[in-house]
Amino acid sequence: MKIGLEIHVQLPTKSKMFCSCPTEGEDIPNSRVCPTCLGMPGSKPSLNKKALELGLSLAKMLGCSIPEQTWFSRKTYFYPDLCKHFQITQYDTPIGEKGVFRLGDKDIRITRVHLEEDPGKTKRVGDGTALVDYNRSGIPLVEIVTEPDISTPAEARQFLSELLTSIRHTIDLPADGDRSVRCDCNISVGKERCEVKNVTGLKNVENCLKYEVVRQTKILKAGGKIERETRRYDEERKVTLPARKKEFEADYGYIGEPDLGIYNIAEIAKGIKLKETPIAMAGRIQSQYGIDAKMAKQLVSTSTELAALFEEIVASADVKTAVKWCSGPISANWKQYEPSMKDELVCIVSDFFKGGITDTECGIKIKSLMTGVDAEATAKASEDIEALISKLLDENPNVIEDYRKNEKAANRIIGLVMKETGGAYSSSDIVASTKKVIESRL
Amino acid sequence: MDRDIVEKAARIAHLDLTEEELERYEKDLTEILDYFQMLDEIPGEDAIGFNPLIVADVLREDEPRTDIKPDLLLKDMKTYDDYVRGPELS
Amino acid sequence: MKIQDLKTINERYEMFTSCSDATETGCEFVFSAKDNLTSYDFETCAGSRILEGYRPPFDATAISKMREAGGFLAGKTNMDEFGFGTFSANSGFGIPKNPYDLNRSCGGSSGGSACAAAVLEDHVSLGVSTGGSIVCPASFCGVYGIAPTYGRVSRYGLIDYGNSLDKVGVLSAKAEDLAKYLPIISGKDQRDPTSCVQPDFPKEFSKIKSVAVVNEAIEGISKDVKQNFDESVEKIRSMGIDVEFVSMPVLKYAMPAYYILATSEASTNLARYCGMRYGQQDGDLTLKFDDYFTSFRSQYFGDEAKRRILLGTFTRMVGYADRYYNKALRVRQSIISEYKKVFADHDAVMTPTMPFISPRFDEIQAMSSLDIYKADFLTIPPNITGMPHMSVPSGYSDGMPIGLMFTSDHWNEDYLLSMAMEWEKSFDMIKPEVKV
Repeated sequence: MKIGLEIHVQLPTKSKMFCSCPTEGEDIPNSRVCPTCLGMPGSKPSLNKKALELGLSLAKMLGCSIPEQTWFSRKTYFYPDLCKHFQITQYDTPIGEKGVFRLGDKDIRITRVHLEEDPGKTKRVGDGTALVDYNRSGIPLVEIVTEPDISTPAEARQFLSELLTSIRHTIDLPADGDRSVRCDCNISVGKERCEVKNVTGLKNVENCLKYEVVRQTKILKAGGKIERETRRYDEERKVTLPARKKEFEADYGYIGEPDLGIYNIAEIAKGIKLKETPIAMAGRIQSQYGIDAKMAKQLVSTSTELAALFEEIVASADVKTAVKWCSGPISANWKQYEPSMKDELVCIVSDFFKGGITDTECGIKIKSLMTGVDAEATAKASEDIEALISKLLDENPNVIEDYRKNEKAANRIIGLVMKETGGAYSSSDIVASTKKVIESRL
Repeated sequence: MDRDIVEKAARIAHLDLTEEELERYEKDLTEILDYFQMLDEIPGEDAIGFNPLIVADVLREDEPRTDIKPDLLLKDMKTYDDYVRGPELS
Repeated sequence: MKIQDLKTINERYEMFTSCSDATETGCEFVFSAKDNLTSYDFETCAGSRILEGYRPPFDATAISKMREAGGFLAGKTNMDEFGFGTFSANSGFGIPKNPYDLNRSCGGSSGGSACAAAVLEDHVSLGVSTGGSIVCPASFCGVYGIAPTYGRVSRYGLIDYGNSLDKVGVLSAKAEDLAKYLPIISGKDQRDPTSCVQPDFPKEFSKIKSVAVVNEAIEGISKDVKQNFDESVEKIRSMGIDVEFVSMPVLKYAMPAYYILATSEASTNLARYCGMRYGQQDGDLTLKFDDYFTSFRSQYFGDEAKRRILLGTFTRMVGYADRYYNKALRVRQSIISEYKKVFADHDAVMTPTMPFISPRFDEIQAMSSLDIYKADFLTIPPNITGMPHMSVPSGYSDGMPIGLMFTSDHWNEDYLLSMAMEWEKSFDMIKPEVKV
């Protein structure tokens, strides 16, 4: 079985692709339109720099080769949602070609990555006539086309999910559910393939492919022949249906778009620095600083920002100190972290490293900064909880001995502290303090 | 340009031609394309440009702006509840 | 400032599709604009019935610049539907008449603009050229007309014919108007990216010192035009300008390459006209969309529009695009290279503007489509290459004006403008007799 996907993702720009209309706003039809995205006679397109840059970032992320120059083309067809009756898209020079996406231990080859404009949205009313909202007309889209390297519907979903994670990370795409992705799915169980057009969301892609596998297999088993055709997916009934046979021939008759000119994208792409993917970052941190893989992964999975902070602390202290504080109190209070705290956190740990403050003072300062609770109260709370732990350890002296064999022994004390303090302290604080007191007695 | 091609181009272009028109356009376009055959004599250059001079790297900053109020744009369109009305979909 | 009674004049000449009934303007100068330039105060139809009722909510950049400079837009001038023609006889709104002989064409497709420039006093008109639509009517109506370098004047608000060919320019009975108003409407405009690569318009205009006369351009022209051209060559020489005869054999491919590119682009530009959103919209929405669109397009597009849509759809069709559309793109580059070689040694190329004086309407009726396309063979080369070109009135034959065309290299409009002003000093213009 061979599956190939054509994936459309809206790019997160503030204005549309070829005009300055905002991309977001009130949910009123035709409220974000202008002569250009309505295709009014006399209007002209003008390319959004950000859309080009985002597209190039994705082409780079997918390891595509990027041509020296690119341009746009007109794809002409008639439909009520397409104002100009041609879509400005890319035909002979996509911004990226021949890329690859690593899925587990398998490569999914990327045929091409190109930019195009989204048409408007239609809906049907009772008498069958159309109502059209052109707010979506001209929203920038990137289309990613894969080779038929996907083997199962489940793998298609897995691929899409991981691809989307990488896309989100690369271009800060907001995670507004998986419906934002639209796919054309090509699938062949036997020799001939069918295309299911315009399937929205990961779950629907998987379900539509599953349906096609069953349908095509049945036909082949019965000795039938798969007809090469375009189908559509009915989300409600979870079936694919043949798309209406076109009474009018489609011949897109691509020509170059003279209103925009050309773009020297190799030059532009050179200037684009890709953000490191989380997986790549964990690997690098592990080898660069000689910390264990689990620790590197933990830092990155908490947040790539935490991992970046770790690197800064290493620079002003050392690896051991950075691991201690980043995996300890900083990580424990990460939910309260704001980028503005970064410099001060680096300062506090560096102070400790130089011997300016004690271990306890350092912990209190970090916590106080991150939670906003003042240092005295933090110190008092910390003293209180440490006093309680000491008392409990005195009452259960064998915990220390057991802890030498297995660190889990600390859980007994942790449990008792939680019970006694009844939610006054965060569990991460209790864990950290308990370990600290036990280790001081070892 | 034979009749089939004229009919095909007309369908693609969404033109419904009368018998008289088909005949006339077939004749005119055949004559025109015969003349255009002279292009086969010249190789032309390898470079292709979509403009007669180089228009390169003209980009717009990503700054949203609304110049004309949408109601003004929609005033002459057939609308229903802010939607633009259109013919029956397939 | 007073203006003439435009409505009455228009009854005779049909140069406007719509015009103002004001008599006082309170403005510094009066201008008109071809009806494919959008203006918020007039319906804009580009000569096509399918756009009837289109009232653009915005001004074309060229029009707004003229208004900012103190201009009063007196009317929109008649034209061939979407610019598809050489005689302005393909308009959906009547045919403008030649001011020197009402039975003859005023040329096209900016025919109404040339007619207005010839007939009205102190009048400047904005025209648009795709394949010769400014210089052709300028020569037939005996006025000055300039089409600048592609991209010199913003095309924002220009209803597209061929986006890689369209140029907004100026027509007037006075050479100085070209020099005055072309710089006003020129300049970069963020709303038209193709206008954003231009150098500044020179403040000091350079003078032509050397012209090349193209041998191929003086073959196949009428006797009276040839005779007039020979006189013009002598006159140019007497102005102290070197004249050299050159051969540019590649130019004969310009006409087919032009019609392929122009109609390929036009057939995509015209796809949007379908009975939705603007222009004609009264139709039965319960029809299937394909049928609904087809019914409007079949009913409201004129004969030449249909012909060019068919040609342009064919030339970019799968299986034919390489032989036609892609080939035409390559041929355009060859023609540009040929011009550049000539401009290495000369400041301008000089040819007659049109191969004959304005024909009578009955003569036009008898011409085949191909005959009409061929009539553009002199004006197409500068147009397909995006080079600035200008027609100046150079004489009369049987009372009908003849034009002389100069072409200069990209962005060298100043050579043409200085020539126009120099030419005017020694040319005796015979104004048409204007009857109301």
